[in-house]
Amino acid sequence: MLRRYEMYSLDPAAPPAAVRSLADAFLACGRFIPEVLDSAIGTNLTDTPVRLVWEHAYESPEAYQRYMVHPFHACILDRALLADSPERVVTSNDFGAGLVGYACDGPVYRLPKGARRLVLLDLAGDDVGPLAARIAAHAADVDGLAVSIVTANTMGSAWMDGVTPITGRPPWSHLWEQGWESLDALEAYRDGDSPLAVAERSGWDGTPGVTVRRSASVHYKLKTG
Amino acid sequence: MTGYMVDTIQVRPSSLDTYLALVRDVAVPVMTKAGATFESCRATSPALGEDVDVQVTWSFADHVEWNEIRKNFVLDPAWHDLARRAAPLRTGGTRRFYYPVPDTVSGPVSQR
Repeated sequence: MLRRYEMYSLDPAAPPAAVRSLADAFLACGRFIPEVLDSAIGTNLTDTPVRLVWEHAYESPEAYQRYMVHPFHACILDRALLADSPERVVTSNDFGAGLVGYACDGPVYRLPKGARRLVLLDLAGDDVGPLAARIAAHAADVDGLAVSIVTANTMGSAWMDGVTPITGRPPWSHLWEQGWESLDALEAYRDGDSPLAVAERSGWDGTPGVTVRRSASVHYKLKTG
Repeated sequence: MTGYMVDTIQVRPSSLDTYLALVRDVAVPVMTKAGATFESCRATSPALGEDVDVQVTWSFADHVEWNEIRKNFVLDPAWHDLARRAAPLRTGGTRRFYYPVPDTVSGPVSQR
């Protein structure tokens, strides 16, 4: 499967109805393009310069490629997204997380309700294994953390066909996707002193072989169609 | 099936010449290089006391080709510069895709 996120900053001058239309189109996408699975949206609650998040998935690269050439994509979604469209409601930003995602064997990301958190990581190298192991060793002990996936951001550079990189290494090389039973549980983790929270606040100091140059996060209450 | 992307842009009459120059000198080369076909550029009169509609039409063979065109212009810094320069000239507008329809409507030719 391919797991995919699109994250947008919004034009403050955009008509609210047009922004709602875009959000509705994200949620409705799977009705028009059956290849689009598990669509959900959210409004980012962190100070990261991203507002509207659309998370979704595809069964395969072939399914993703059918999405890419579907008229709903070009006619409805891109109307509000492309930089040259007169109906654009989003803005360009240099945050570098417009499109991120990863390949997985199944819907490991799935979260029927609750809160999503996506931690964006810029690692000095490519091997996220030691960090993933460190997180996995403690994730099960964190109350309310239902989903925890640490992986490379492969979609950031392979957005054309889901497989082939067509641009260089993405600004955010790796992702830590989290699913929380509730926003309260997420906030309790962030404010708490669990080994994982402490390690995250430290910038993952002491993780052998891994240097996290910078990180950022978005989180939101999950809204499904 | 051939597709047509039709941008109908509103600009102030005082911005019309600047906008048309941007279409002619930047949009046509950038979009053509990406693979789109320039079909037409038409405008309403600037002498009517209202914003001018500028309608620019591009064509492409089908949505598979459009996806390739889209990739090409998104990766072209000149397209981003075009978008940055065009945005402040617009006061509104729409983007719609059109497709040929079956020839079931009697037009001037068949009425002769």
